[in-house]
Amino acid sequence: MGYLLIVDDDEDFAGAAAKVLRDAGHEVRVELDVPSAVRSMRQRRPDLAILDVMFPEDSSAGFSLAREIRGEAGNLRDVPLLMLTAVNSRFPLGFSSKDIDDCWLPVDEFLEKPVDLDLLCARVAGLLSHARAPENRQP
Amino acid sequence: MATYTLSFPDRASPSAHAAPRALAHDLPEELLLRNALWFCRLRWLVIGLFAAFGVLGLVPGLLPRLGLRPPGAWPLVAAAVLFAANLAWLAHAHTIAAKGRHAPFRGERWNVPLFQPVCMNLWAQIVADLVSLTLVVHHVGSLETFIAFAYLFHIVLSCIFFPRRWSLVVTALACALYLGTVALEEAGVLERAGIYADASLRELMDHLPGVRLAHVAWAPFTWFVVWYLAAHLSAEVHSRDRELAETNRLLLAAQEERRQHMLRTTHELKAPFSAIHANVQLLTKGHCGQLPAEAQAVLGRITTRCRRLAAEIQEMLQLANLHSVTQEPLPTAQLDLAAIMRWSLARVAPMAQERQIALDADLHPAPVWAVEDHAKMVFANLLSNAITYSHPGGHVRVEVAPQHGGSASVVVQDHGIGIEPAKLPRIFEPYYRAEEAVRHNRESTGLGLAIVRQAAEADGLTVHVESEPNVGTRFTVLFPPSPPRSPGLGKGDTPPSAVDGALSPFPSPALRRKENADGVLADRG
Repeated sequence: MGYLLIVDDDEDFAGAAAKVLRDAGHEVRVELDVPSAVRSMRQRRPDLAILDVMFPEDSSAGFSLAREIRGEAGNLRDVPLLMLTAVNSRFPLGFSSKDIDDCWLPVDEFLEKPVDLDLLCARVAGLLSHARAPENRQP
Repeated sequence: MATYTLSFPDRASPSAHAAPRALAHDLPEELLLRNALWFCRLRWLVIGLFAAFGVLGLVPGLLPRLGLRPPGAWPLVAAAVLFAANLAWLAHAHTIAAKGRHAPFRGERWNVPLFQPVCMNLWAQIVADLVSLTLVVHHVGSLETFIAFAYLFHIVLSCIFFPRRWSLVVTALACALYLGTVALEEAGVLERAGIYADASLRELMDHLPGVRLAHVAWAPFTWFVVWYLAAHLSAEVHSRDRELAETNRLLLAAQEERRQHMLRTTHELKAPFSAIHANVQLLTKGHCGQLPAEAQAVLGRITTRCRRLAAEIQEMLQLANLHSVTQEPLPTAQLDLAAIMRWSLARVAPMAQERQIALDADLHPAPVWAVEDHAKMVFANLLSNAITYSHPGGHVRVEVAPQHGGSASVVVQDHGIGIEPAKLPRIFEPYYRAEEAVRHNRESTGLGLAIVRQAAEADGLTVHVESEPNVGTRFTVLFPPSPPRSPGLGKGDTPPSAVDGALSPFPSPALRRKENADGVLADRG
């Protein structure tokens, strides 16, 4: 079980995902915008962050946040990231190829919206157990 | 059995979909270059004529019998000089063309400055032609023959290819050269020449100054009239061309705006739908406690419709993305179609299981150059189509095999309801669904094969369909042997990607490495 942070501007979706993940035994915090998410992560490091991509004022804020997390000097840089997208193509609306360059974008897993919540739980469990495996721990 | 083939052999070049052209005043560089090359090819004919005339002149007594004077060496010298010059211009034009292929001419580069290499080439050809022609005019007979009207060829061509002021320069240059030659002949600086054996016509003119003057003035007067008419008509045609280009640009922009709007709207639908879908799952999966049987039945119906709506939104987004002309083209990569098919089969396996359809695959490694996302879309849609229109308990046969010359074929065959021959050509239209198809399955959106068509068109694939009602349908997709032309290839080829285990929509190398290490090839969602 772990402490999970969901960053999604859609409260209804985030609430439903949080409910299912809590029922699966995780501790879950929901943040509806990127600045609050950054503050929350600095206060307490999540074991895993679930990020949405598109936010009202920035259609690729989730990608920017992912890069910011990976660029952090502290212990946030190795937080496993699961990206939720509502898009289904490699070059969708408003994103540039830079946003989704395989080398550039350091997320661990993608799930496409609408999300099967059982699949979400399975992916979260997989990422947490992978992160906790001794060979993947940061020294 | 009826058949239908969807083929895109003459796929429009990427530039056909490129950014709309700006308002133009002159012809674009690429067209001028084609003209320069055409000029050169045309000149071979003239060179041939000179050479033939020179050779005929060498045959003793032949030309005098026709009333002509043997020309001496000038036709052969002219042919040799033009031959050498033409080789040089051709080489220069081909060099420019090669550079253009390296850094393609931009569609909007219409207003070509005078000192661009292609213009210098054309001007060099025209000036040299006019000078050569003047020498020919002198030798053939400047006043007593109609040779002076040969200048009209260059005047009219310059009116078509160049703006009005440039063609006027060509006309003025022709006048200056012609009148200068006549003046030098009259002044006795140039010895009179001519091809007519009988000099009486010229002598008659010498005695009639008015006739001589009329002959001298008639040619330049005609040239200027022709220049005016041709330049005017050419300007009209260019203006019409520009109007059409502008209308085309506006149409493309409107079409693109509509697509973008549709894409945005569909996407906006998807976000709230995700929330609805997630909350319905809370209820159906018991996260809010046990529900009465009737409520569960209602939720079951909602879930079914949710699934249909999710598929429809997904397909509308895919189709809109494929249609979008402003979108960056996806890079091609070397793919193994068998691996892509395995990935696609894994994706449709739950659907096949639900409908009790057996999937029977015969996959051989088939490396081709293709767009990974498009190949996945084509396979996933053909497979789900075959499963959807099979009878319960039936089976779908899938074959992937390399073909001669580096191409590859993919076959998806079902034994389902089949398609009536008259309806075959319509199955690739968006939202088209045959009546019997709707009766068989109400859930299908009618967009799957439209997506196949768009992806096939984008990548130059050929899709062949054979079908017989109540017997089944067989789709054969042929991938082209060579790397399809792709503007995305300009910056260097995309390295071959390992598609086994690739995640849609965004395969991450880091994840692939981890999955390979874990040996996990789970559901790809």
